[in-house]
Amino acid sequence: MTAVALVIVLVALFAAVAGQVLLKKAMESSHSAAGFRSRAVIVPFAIGIALMTLQFFLNLGLLQRYDLSFIYPFQGLSVIIITFAAAITLREKLTFQVIAGSVLISVGVALVSFT
Amino acid sequence: MPANFMATPTNPTGLKNPWVHLGLSIACVTIYELLLKRGAADTAHLSERWGWTGIPGLASVHVWIAIIFVILSLITWLYVLRYIPLSIAFPISQAVHVLVPLGSWLVLGENIIGLRWAGIALVSLGLLVVAKPVARFEEEL
Repeated sequence: MTAVALVIVLVALFAAVAGQVLLKKAMESSHSAAGFRSRAVIVPFAIGIALMTLQFFLNLGLLQRYDLSFIYPFQGLSVIIITFAAAITLREKLTFQVIAGSVLISVGVALVSFT
Repeated sequence: MPANFMATPTNPTGLKNPWVHLGLSIACVTIYELLLKRGAADTAHLSERWGWTGIPGLASVHVWIAIIFVILSLITWLYVLRYIPLSIAFPISQAVHVLVPLGSWLVLGENIIGLRWAGIALVSLGLLVVAKPVARFEEEL
């Protein structure tokens, strides 16, 4: 893997994590009186969808050059990173079970992708 | 278990229950992946020149049904995010990594090697570990 490919993998990972966190933030804000018309919903929702789209095309580009079994384990990492990102940015409570389960799922996703 | 473990507004019940929608979202992604694979296989011979873009796949009805399912999965996922913490919903949504290989084995007749079975077992175990405290909390309500 070249340095450029590694940077693209990391940017795609960041886009996936930030996209999910922003979509969650938007959906949480939709409980307010203003509902879905609120700026607190529209802005994170639009940026979240844009980041998810960016991640989709970066992954598509990576898949044209590398095997799925090589790229997929990096996606497995997103489970652990999103879990911690939710705790840090959204102040969600993490329990030992959630952390242990996320680690097991990440390793499992990496193994499932091997051919 | 802290009382605000699920730290969200009161969850709707019945068909509006967000856990039902999480299940629907997982099912939609699984069906989408299987239909996309079948559609891609159906149209692989159509154009060698444009095959890498995926565009010839649009000639398959399976791909169009797959697109409907991916839109449904996004809608249900957004609904899930309104009520369930991301740190719980996202790990549980990874059940697709169990269902898609099982579906490709049962429906598409693909082989699953030993290492992949081990991965499926690990993801299933991880799902149980994450879901168990959630299930206990829901029972207490």
